[in-house]
Amino acid sequence: MKKRTLQRGLSGFWWLTLVFLYLPLAVVVFFSFNAANSAARFTGFSLRWYERLLGNEQIISAFWNSMVLAIVSSVLALVIGCLIGYGMYRHRHRKLGWLIVLIYLPIVLPDIVFGISEMAFFVSIHRYTGLLQPGLLTMIISHVTFQIPFVALIVYSRLVGLDPTLFEAAKDLYATPFKRAWHFLLPTIKPALISAFFLSFTLSIDDFVISFFTSGPESATLPIYIWGAIKKGVTPEINAIAALMIGAVAIAALMSLLFNRQGQR
Amino acid sequence: MVESSRTASRSRAVIGESQHLLFSVAPGALWIFVFLVLPSLYLMAVAFMTNGPYGLPQMPLTLDSFEQLAGFGFLGWSPGNLYTLLRSLWQTLIATVLVVMVAYPIAYYITTCRVKWRAIMLLLVVVPSWTNQVIRTFGWMNLLAPGTPLSDLAQWLGVIPPNMGLYPSNFAVTLGLVYNFLPFMVLPLYAAFEKLDTAQVQAAQDLYASPMRTFWHAVFPQTLPGLLAGTVLVAIPAFGMYVIPELLGGGKGMMLGNLVANQFAGGSNWPLGAAGAILMLIATFIGLFAMRRIGKRLGGGEEVVI
Repeated sequence: MKKRTLQRGLSGFWWLTLVFLYLPLAVVVFFSFNAANSAARFTGFSLRWYERLLGNEQIISAFWNSMVLAIVSSVLALVIGCLIGYGMYRHRHRKLGWLIVLIYLPIVLPDIVFGISEMAFFVSIHRYTGLLQPGLLTMIISHVTFQIPFVALIVYSRLVGLDPTLFEAAKDLYATPFKRAWHFLLPTIKPALISAFFLSFTLSIDDFVISFFTSGPESATLPIYIWGAIKKGVTPEINAIAALMIGAVAIAALMSLLFNRQGQR
Repeated sequence: MVESSRTASRSRAVIGESQHLLFSVAPGALWIFVFLVLPSLYLMAVAFMTNGPYGLPQMPLTLDSFEQLAGFGFLGWSPGNLYTLLRSLWQTLIATVLVVMVAYPIAYYITTCRVKWRAIMLLLVVVPSWTNQVIRTFGWMNLLAPGTPLSDLAQWLGVIPPNMGLYPSNFAVTLGLVYNFLPFMVLPLYAAFEKLDTAQVQAAQDLYASPMRTFWHAVFPQTLPGLLAGTVLVAIPAFGMYVIPELLGGGKGMMLGNLVANQFAGGSNWPLGAAGAILMLIATFIGLFAMRRIGKRLGGGEEVVI
């Protein structure tokens, strides 16, 4: 009896928490269809803010910047991080404490400190050498820096989970290290590589602070554009672009759910 | 002869292994060193430089920036920065406690549900954090602005004066922090609850322990590693938070992250910002160290992996 009341209370609390978690997102989506330019009163259904989006060149270019940044940085981080992950695995019996510290540094550093360090560094280098002007390139460099550890740790944990005798078998089967890597290693860690890529991509899309401090005048990403628009005064166009980004996340969530389901079967 | 060839091949193998280590680890290690360690060291150096015109650092080396950070300026001492620091600590503490209070029952509740629902429930908790921080905070701005139902309700209750909104305020910042970090606490706590040894709970109940005592002695210690891991994941980024106080806090809700960032975003005073960053780093490492110590002492030998 008592257990039942506890369970019922918990279930109520669970639904309340869900409301808390989704209310802010729902409000953004809801008011993106508002006919009036207001975030407090809903006057009627309209798609005019979405139509306005398509005509807004700044938003379109911000979208492409976000995409280029996320894809290029994730690919680079995948290659570099995968190598580190493999190196950490192969040499896990050695003392690699310095390497672990180095790899955890981007994770534990508060992102504001991360962002301003990069900014100060790039700005100063640019001032003295003319290289590395703040823009898409410096953003890609910074994103790769915080993505590498995640890729490395995912690849490393996949390798540790494998049966060590597999490596011996592969050594007997394939003569050259490259063939071994191509026919054995890469196919075996493919799931880890896929999830590492998607994690890197998500981290890049989610990031605001580090992008903000390393961006140049023409490399604004969607979050940076939205930030600027909020600071200037809220317009419902932001609701529309934000609603689209929330929609993209919802699709990603559904996909990961389906992916999970298939994995369970 | 045989002996020497064997050592030769062994040393060749050692060289091969070292080369291998070099080729696999060096690109990434070098990348992080050049693009993160060097910039961080440079930032620390900046903290000891003089603030030049346009806010860029110059020689000679001084401790001016730290004096400014402590509140000493042209007009004598002012408590502004001290308040900012205390506010950051306070907000971090409050937000972390609130996050624990929400996440603990939620994580437990998920483990009591059917296995096939659990993955979906966890996903539901995590999905909001996949959207960009700026958008999530913007959602709260929409919810708490003047004229919204929540603000009207607060006015009716007399919590805020008429024609005001719930944001900007310290309350809005706390709310934003709790919202932002809830998933980071639910996940490690869920992991702890999932491998909870129910035999201990059973034993306590068989010995007629009250529910309270059962909880404190049989359940709570087992969830402690998850709780500590979650605290690290919540408290450290919360302390350095920039976006939420900037959008929801207004002038009186500023936290250390804003103090630091504004010196760079506005371009006004790099050395002061760098000094603030050093303070933030010191706090971060003290926090990490303290959590590790607590984890080692209370976790019963189980290492808290951060």
